[in-house]
Amino acid sequence: MKEQNSDSLSKRKLLHTTVYSQCFSPCGKYLVAANNFGDIAVYSLVAALAPNADDGTRKPIYSFKASTEGSIYSLLSTETLLISAGNGDICAWKWSEILDKAAKLVWSIKVPQLQAYTNPEINSLALSKQETGLQLFAGSGDNNVYTWDIESGQQTNSFSGHKDYVHCVCTKNSGRECVSASEDGTVRIWDCRVGGEAIHVLEPNKHDLTARLDMGKWVGCVTCDNNEDWLTLGGAPHLSSWHLRSLEPICIFNSPGVTHNYVSFYEDTILSGGSEGYVNHWYVNGEVKRKVPCSAANVFNINVNTGSENNKVLCVAGSSPKIDVCTNFGYTAFSLLFAL
Amino acid sequence: MDDPKEEKKRKRTIKLGDNSSSGSGDVKPDMKRLKSESLKIKQEEAHVNTGRNLFYAEEEEVEGRDVDKDVELFQSACGDIQRTIADITALKESKSKNAKADIESKKMEGVLQIVMLKKLNRLAHIRCKKVRDGTNEAKMRIDRCHLLVQNLLYEIMHLEKEIMKCLGFKSKDEEIDLVPVEQFYDEAPTEISKPEVTESDGHQQTLARLDWELEQRKQLSNKLKDAQKSKEKIETEIKTKQEHLDTLQPKLNVILQSTKPVQEYLDMPYDAVKEEHMTAQYLPHPLFVLYMQSSAYKDACDKKMKVTLEGNLEAAKSTDFNAPLVLDDDSDSDQDEQEETDKKNSKRRRKTVEVKKSESKSKVLTKHPLSVVIEIVCDDNSILHLRFHYLSYLKIITVVVNVTMATSSSTSCVSASDILSPDLILDALYTGDHGNTSPNHSNQYELNRFGLQDLNVYVTQVGRPYLWAQRMGGLQFLQGDPPNAPQTSVSYHTMQSTILKLRKRVQSRLALVKQLSSLEHNNVPVTSEYIGMFPVKLSSHLKSWQRSTYEEYTESPFTQGKVTQGIGCQSDLFFKTVIERGSGKLEAYVVIAPDYPVEAPVFCIRITWGTVRDSSNDCHIQELEAEVNIHYDELTNEKSCDQLLTNQLQRLIMCFDVYLETESQNIQNEGPSEIAKEKVFSRLCRGKSRSKPYRFNPNTGIFSHR
Repeated sequence: MKEQNSDSLSKRKLLHTTVYSQCFSPCGKYLVAANNFGDIAVYSLVAALAPNADDGTRKPIYSFKASTEGSIYSLLSTETLLISAGNGDICAWKWSEILDKAAKLVWSIKVPQLQAYTNPEINSLALSKQETGLQLFAGSGDNNVYTWDIESGQQTNSFSGHKDYVHCVCTKNSGRECVSASEDGTVRIWDCRVGGEAIHVLEPNKHDLTARLDMGKWVGCVTCDNNEDWLTLGGAPHLSSWHLRSLEPICIFNSPGVTHNYVSFYEDTILSGGSEGYVNHWYVNGEVKRKVPCSAANVFNINVNTGSENNKVLCVAGSSPKIDVCTNFGYTAFSLLFAL
Repeated sequence: MDDPKEEKKRKRTIKLGDNSSSGSGDVKPDMKRLKSESLKIKQEEAHVNTGRNLFYAEEEEVEGRDVDKDVELFQSACGDIQRTIADITALKESKSKNAKADIESKKMEGVLQIVMLKKLNRLAHIRCKKVRDGTNEAKMRIDRCHLLVQNLLYEIMHLEKEIMKCLGFKSKDEEIDLVPVEQFYDEAPTEISKPEVTESDGHQQTLARLDWELEQRKQLSNKLKDAQKSKEKIETEIKTKQEHLDTLQPKLNVILQSTKPVQEYLDMPYDAVKEEHMTAQYLPHPLFVLYMQSSAYKDACDKKMKVTLEGNLEAAKSTDFNAPLVLDDDSDSDQDEQEETDKKNSKRRRKTVEVKKSESKSKVLTKHPLSVVIEIVCDDNSILHLRFHYLSYLKIITVVVNVTMATSSSTSCVSASDILSPDLILDALYTGDHGNTSPNHSNQYELNRFGLQDLNVYVTQVGRPYLWAQRMGGLQFLQGDPPNAPQTSVSYHTMQSTILKLRKRVQSRLALVKQLSSLEHNNVPVTSEYIGMFPVKLSSHLKSWQRSTYEEYTESPFTQGKVTQGIGCQSDLFFKTVIERGSGKLEAYVVIAPDYPVEAPVFCIRITWGTVRDSSNDCHIQELEAEVNIHYDELTNEKSCDQLLTNQLQRLIMCFDVYLETESQNIQNEGPSEIAKEKVFSRLCRGKSRSKPYRFNPNTGIFSHR
């Protein structure tokens, strides 16, 4: 009975698909995306951007089950590996095998289980290059941030202090420091070399400029600019830029009624997305550069392909089976479908 | 030698010349004439004798003489005459005295020369005649030879023909298919094959082979005779046995008759079964397959099934349905054309044409007089009656469905009275099989030809041509092409699954009706086996449950996402429900496919709580929908999934509680909020989407995330 209905079930699954994360292959020719059912789909950007592209080329060229426990919240790419995390273990897959359409698990890291019944998830991954090797940062559902050495798979550090789960992590100061945003409404900056308590704690919900108490206090996303003067965060409080040396909010990016799930710097603009069907391009001074409508009502990830100049596109993923591709960033050129 | 002869001849001729000149000398005076007349008779007599003799003599003389010499003689004679005449002339002119005598002697000389010429003339004539005779004779000879040659040639031709005939002669023995030479030497005894003679002599070999053939044929014919004899013997034996058996029949009948009361008493209807099997012989082939397979299935696996035959046996016997039913449609079409040409003057005729047409129409849709009736008794004693007809012309099986509800389960259900209707209860038993169109694509053309509409117009009249019914009758329509003949294997392979599906369908429909009637009273009936899956206390409650329509569903603002994804179609059932908790209100459209519960109902949700939210602007509602639309398999067990709808609804109510409670927790309002936190959650939010803990763990009573 179930086999018979797999068709209608996959149709329904498509309807309820949310794409939480996406990333580009090191060569810049492929896009991978992960959804709330634990599937990873691989798209060929070259084929999708080709002049003779049709609906067929906008479907995954390959897909595989990366997690049996549910959503995958974060994808990350190294030179040779694709790292996926979400519910369940952190898993690494070889790019070459993925592109050969035969993905095999290379290694996996089990998230430390500190309490019963919780089975914490990984909401965010970040990478930093150290002299000793690549460090993997993971913001976990058990309120902690963990770091691992990718080569050895050994846990190198853990930062605890958040009162609720960690939404987002990013690194700054060449990976010597790390920033985490949490459901508890705080953003903490940690010194990776020292460990222990956070060196700084930002509380946007307690600051008059940024607080939006009617929306809640959680901070969903955080990012630093390249010069590391600025830190931008968003969530239930206003999307805002904080000056790192003074640790004060300098400007807010006004988007009434919208909570933000994703923010990043791209060149001199800030890209953000949240609980409305738009991708926002901001000037650093808080003015709107443009608002681009997209398929997903809730945007979870915006990613610019920098790996390949020919396939330089901006991809938007969210609570929709469609991944929007913007070729010149100003409008959605076409959508890739997360159809398995 | 010549000279003496010639002398002789000359003498004779001179003599002759004398005679003749005396006879014919007219120049003499009368006196002389008288003298000569007296001599004449004598001379004549002698002349006749001598003339004949002379003639023969001259003939002989001709042979002896030389032609050339005669010619010379002739020339010299001519010369003499000329000379004589010249001499005479000279003499006359000289006027000498003795001229007269000289002239006279010269005249004599001249006359003699003339006689000589005469003689030569005669000889020439004779010679000429002789040569002519010789020529004729030679000609004759040549003719004879020619004739002979002709004869010989003819004979040659004839002989050649005969030779050809001989060469072309075909002997009888060539037609006989002889055994190959090797085999012949292997098999034939040496006295026949005589290898020492025959191997070198082809003729002898052939003769030997012919002998061997004859021998063999003789043997075979003997064998045939023997076989025939034994056959006759066996036939007589069979005959006697048959007679014996025939006499047994009445006896057996008597015995059977006497066992009837016992059969009835023991409830073992052997006779009835036998009779039915007799009747089954007259079923059309597909129905026969259906009947045999379903009875076999009944005997083997399903005692709660009844297979019977109904209909007019006599009619079935009288009609030869094996012969292809040819309708007189050509004449019809002819008449159509005619009708068009003289439309005006044929009102009456048109009527007759129409009558004819309607007759042929009804003929197209004729059912075979016999039908197979299958009754499937469900657990609660409701009965599904399936009457299978065979449309002899269209060559398809149709089903007339009827459901008899058990008295215990009769429920009044306003919103879904039609889901047990015979038309809909078996809709989409297999995906896409609505029983509206004929599986035999060629039927469409046939119907058109008789001016009939699509088959779905007539389904009330003839029953529905479901695909599974065709398969039960062994008819496999691959892409609409009619099969050549019903195949038992097709029926055999699908029988069990179809019967199970039918039974399941009826049961789930009955269960659905029960659920719906209870939902109408705003009561969500959760059966005891599933009650553990839900928390004891739920604060939301069902406010209303109503039937809706496809149009309403498609036009509703919050269903657009599903509509564009192609969820919900005309044949589905639509309901609208409202669940409330305080000021929180959840509206949902429920799409129930005909194939429920194999295909689970789909919920489209809109929540009004402060603001109006639906899956397109609130990912929590999307997740809420996924809880019921995707993870429904947790709500069924292996035995049956008939309680799926109510379980889904119960889960929806539960999840709505979770939604409201977590929403109110997230917003840090001062003072007591409207929605109290009643549930225990492991975590309020999880993941990037801050998803809600919709999942209930019955063991711990804690809600957690999926």
